[in-house]
Amino acid sequence: MHIEELQIKNYRNYEQLEAHFENKVNVIIGENAQGKTNVMESIFVLAMAKSHRTANDKELIRWDTDYAKIEGRIIKNRGSVPMQLVISKKGKRAKYNHIEQKKLSQYVGNMNVVMFAPEDLNLVKGSPQVRRRFIDMEIGQVSPVYLHDISQYQKMLQQRNHYLKQLQIKKTTDLTMLDVLTEQFIQMAAKIIIKRYEFIRLLEQWALPIHEGISRGLETLKIDYKPSADVSEDQDLSKMIEVYENKFMKIKQREIERGTTMFGPHRDDLEFIVNGRDVQTFGSQGQQRTTALSVKLAEIELINREIGEYPILLLDDVLSELDDYRQSHLLNTIQGKVQTFVTTTSVDGIDHKTLKDAAAYRVESGVMTKIQ
Amino acid sequence: MHYPEPISKLIDSFMKLPGIGPKTAARLAFFILSMKEDTVLDFAKALVNAKRNLSYCTVCGHITDQDPCYICEDQRRDRKVICVVQDPKDVIAMEKMKEFSGLYHVLHGSISPMDGIGPEDINIPDLLKRLQDETVEEVILATNPNIEGEATAMYISRLLKPSGIRVTRIAHGLPVGGDLEYADEVTLSKALEGRREV
Repeated sequence: MHIEELQIKNYRNYEQLEAHFENKVNVIIGENAQGKTNVMESIFVLAMAKSHRTANDKELIRWDTDYAKIEGRIIKNRGSVPMQLVISKKGKRAKYNHIEQKKLSQYVGNMNVVMFAPEDLNLVKGSPQVRRRFIDMEIGQVSPVYLHDISQYQKMLQQRNHYLKQLQIKKTTDLTMLDVLTEQFIQMAAKIIIKRYEFIRLLEQWALPIHEGISRGLETLKIDYKPSADVSEDQDLSKMIEVYENKFMKIKQREIERGTTMFGPHRDDLEFIVNGRDVQTFGSQGQQRTTALSVKLAEIELINREIGEYPILLLDDVLSELDDYRQSHLLNTIQGKVQTFVTTTSVDGIDHKTLKDAAAYRVESGVMTKIQ
Repeated sequence: MHYPEPISKLIDSFMKLPGIGPKTAARLAFFILSMKEDTVLDFAKALVNAKRNLSYCTVCGHITDQDPCYICEDQRRDRKVICVVQDPKDVIAMEKMKEFSGLYHVLHGSISPMDGIGPEDINIPDLLKRLQDETVEEVILATNPNIEGEATAMYISRLLKPSGIRVTRIAHGLPVGGDLEYADEVTLSKALEGRREV
């Protein structure tokens, strides 16, 4: 899919912007603090109805105005569709194909984007929480049942932790109730872990050749799911439940002493391994970057597999972070199949056919013009 | 807006009801003023009587004006089966069905450690006492199909296991007479999990 027209009004530093984009690489050039990222962000917001940079929607509205409006025309396999999102101080209103969507969850998912910004490097070097959030968000994009399971799991975890705390302070002594909460918790935990294993396997399948390409065949990427309990991928649901049951039986007393649940998907992690070594600990900055990039590009392929077309790729300020070879490999991978937006301060020094063919736009203090 | 005191008191009283905001409360209050005095008196009596004369049945926990309640008293009902529900409203719903002829037991809530509700805070001890009487052969757990309801059902089934009483759980899945296309993904996946051979 690709976006053909974009109109934004009162969005961040833009009073008004109308642009036509092409279904290839679009390069947005400009000095710092001119509004390059804001254009990228507005495309992201049009798709996801929220920003990747802030949780506060009011920040998106231009200073001293009441509302921000983003409109776009999206070309999909099945035809062209207008989309519209209005952000006011009271909330958001979304229209898909001229029809107002009462639920944002109905609106999101009609346009797929993958954003790669400097923050995404945290995927490898950040805390486990960042990686868990990544898995949950990605699976959630394609599986509403998983989203529901995760929220149920969070609730069960809370119930169990509360009960463990009551046992800890001896407010209650009923261990049967703990067993019930544990059984419920284990059923859901195993279900979630199985879905995560499936996803990681697919992601690895796609990321491996991509990573090999970027590293000129020098590096082999492996992605491992690191469960907090000793479950493993080859176990089925009932075996996994059995392992968990034994584990929780053994640590019951310790859990009561600590008043908290010590094992489960909420303590699991991902490990990225390049040539047999954990990238998070032993990898260079460059390797961490390449790994994050491979995973993001694999995500594009995964979405293509799930929905039958490629998402729109937004590369914010990342070209300058990559060396020449990685730049050109990245551009080769996306060439001709993914509509891509790239921001950069200058194209000098980037010598690649894809960029020479690209449509270029210059941004200067909130005004964007096409360079012929 | 300044109302005379009697009417503002009435508005305030209506606002104590669930789902009633200031506007609806004002509308209801003015409607009361336009009603006949007899009707208003009957209305007021009905409110007070409902509160005064109704209590919970000491056997099953259902709301009643006599103790034990009319269901527990009814000798035609099957005393071998007890259906455990969370709320008196659930008893009403089951009774509307007219297919269940056993007895009920109302828990008045579900176990939720987060809200400080433990097994002893709901009507479980009374249930266990009732079951010591040997006539009961089956307990049907009809708590709500959410996390707390499931945990409550699991807890009761564990307590009853040693007694040898048959414990069953009501099914969940698609509503009857509904269209498949209107079911949400989660309900559908539950229905699929619980599929059976035909």
